Amino acid sequence: MTPLYEIRSVSYRYKLDGQHIQALSGISLNVCQGEFLALAGPSGSGKTTLLNVLGLLDRPGEGAVLFEGENVSRLSERERTLLRRERIGFIFQNFNLIPTLTAHENVEYFLLKRKTGRIEARARVLRALEAVGIAAQANQWPNSMSGGQRQRVAIARALVRQPQVVLADEPTASLDQSTGLAVIELMKRLNREQGMTCIFSTHDPKVIAAADRVVHLTDGRVIE
Amino acid sequence: MRHFALHIELALRNVFRNRRRSLYALATIAMGALGLFTFMGFNHGLMRQYRDNTIRARWGYGQLYVAGYRGKAHTRPWEMWVENPQDVMNTLRNLPGIVDLFPRLTVNAILTAGELSIAGQGEGIDGIAEARFFDQLNYIEGSDFKDRRDGIVLGQGLARGLGVHVGDEVVLVTQDSKMKTRSVKVAVTGVFHTGSQEFDSRAFRLPIKLAQSLLETDRVESIAVALSSDDGWPAFAAAAKKALPELEAIPFDELDRIYYRHAVDWLDAQFRFIRSVILLVVFLGIFNVISMTVMERTTEIGALRANGESRLAVFCGMELEAAALGLLGGLLGLLAGWALSTGPLSAGIPMPPAPGITRSFRIFIELGFADALEVLGLCGLTSVFGCILPVWRGARMPIAQALRHV
Repeated sequence: MTPLYEIRSVSYRYKLDGQHIQALSGISLNVCQGEFLALAGPSGSGKTTLLNVLGLLDRPGEGAVLFEGENVSRLSERERTLLRRERIGFIFQNFNLIPTLTAHENVEYFLLKRKTGRIEARARVLRALEAVGIAAQANQWPNSMSGGQRQRVAIARALVRQPQVVLADEPTASLDQSTGLAVIELMKRLNREQGMTCIFSTHDPKVIAAADRVVHLTDGRVIE
Repeated sequence: MRHFALHIELALRNVFRNRRRSLYALATIAMGALGLFTFMGFNHGLMRQYRDNTIRARWGYGQLYVAGYRGKAHTRPWEMWVENPQDVMNTLRNLPGIVDLFPRLTVNAILTAGELSIAGQGEGIDGIAEARFFDQLNYIEGSDFKDRRDGIVLGQGLARGLGVHVGDEVVLVTQDSKMKTRSVKVAVTGVFHTGSQEFDSRAFRLPIKLAQSLLETDRVESIAVALSSDDGWPAFAAAAKKALPELEAIPFDELDRIYYRHAVDWLDAQFRFIRSVILLVVFLGIFNVISMTVMERTTEIGALRANGESRLAVFCGMELEAAALGLLGGLLGLLAGWALSTGPLSAGIPMPPAPGITRSFRIFIELGFADALEVLGLCGLTSVFGCILPVWRGARMPIAQALRHV
């Protein structure tokens, strides 16, 4: 079976205040379809950079990232955008909801942009909001919601497009521990029910414990 | 089409829901639109004053001459004057838009007062008829001679040269068409000035009957025209050409090319420059507001791009928002301009005397539909162009960097 992701000797370097920072050093890793995978490690270990590379937000400096056997590192910007739109969902630490849209509209936005009809979009949004247990808050503005509620909206936004993989960067970092665990449990349930691959980064041991597999990173290297 | 409507809906939703951000942008654009619209109205009001002053001071809406007479030197000019002026005027009175007609005749004469003599060029006019229409001649002393048969009004320089004032007598000496010298004693009823020192130092006006008797002719040199509306000249000129093909009709702005046309062109150039400055200020204001907006929305842009929005889609979405802001701000500015012109400025803006005019006057803000459309279009375009750079920069920012933005 072809893994969903094949990461081959990926390195990534960036410049900060005139200094070169080696964020990733020769990382090789396979991720299978349907996995619930945690990237663990302290701050600065390269978790976010790796997620950015997997999510096609950044290109690796060296090495290759294969998505379903295709080397996506070499794709054009347009092809990467299309791939993100169709097959990858994101959940961010700071939720990154659009503040001028209600919870319902935030989830609906990308469906409408994908030319989904309004009636179908509405039904799918309701299903997604119900799945994350926040249908009652559908018409609330992000600013009037709690952190946990906002992250649920962000999860619904990622799920509604039915992506193959959801990448979550520290999805519990802005939440208190019980809310964080509830969010992770929700993601795990959706991973089981809908079969979508889920890769998330965290440094919280209780959240790590919920993962099927954990990849530890230190100084941009994998230490399994 | 449905997709485009969705883009517009999303753009408008963003504009109306982010009130603080929109308010800054709208205020900037509305102030610019208000300034531009009011300035254009002021410009129109000023131009109207110039136009009215030129028409009602001397030229009328235009004048009729025998074709080929004007602008050329003639050895026997009287042979090219208008014959049977009364019949001609009766024909002209039936043409569209005519309010009044004023026959005129040029008289070259030596004016003598006491020991002083000065050569002058005068114009014989129908004093009563002209007093009804030409109410903008700048008298600095006295007034028209109206029905007085031996009255004369002098240009300021000429009166000074002769050392005469209202009530003084002047002797006119001239030659008629048979080279016979004729003279007449007239009384000064007024002293005027036009702003042209050269003209005022030799110009005078006297009753047309007196001018005709001095030149021993029953013809007139030209016929000035008063019309019922400002834009009636082309129709009148066409009708006059058909009814009296031997005459040519020349509009006032052609007759007064030196003063009116050049002044209008000069003011227009000035106004165009000031308008460019206003547009530049609006452009910079919008650029600033949109730059701030893009900076505030960097993480939002990052999230949009991460979720599969293309650079172009982000760019177009924000450009649509800018266009919506531009049009809305423009509309608010227009409303404010209208409120200003019909409220506090409805009585006009008092102005000091303009060059060549002795009276102070008021300029009324004249707002037009075409100006409103122009301002609206400019606001929309300025907003769209003003945000191209900041929006493009935002849309091109690496996604990971945009998401990290605080």
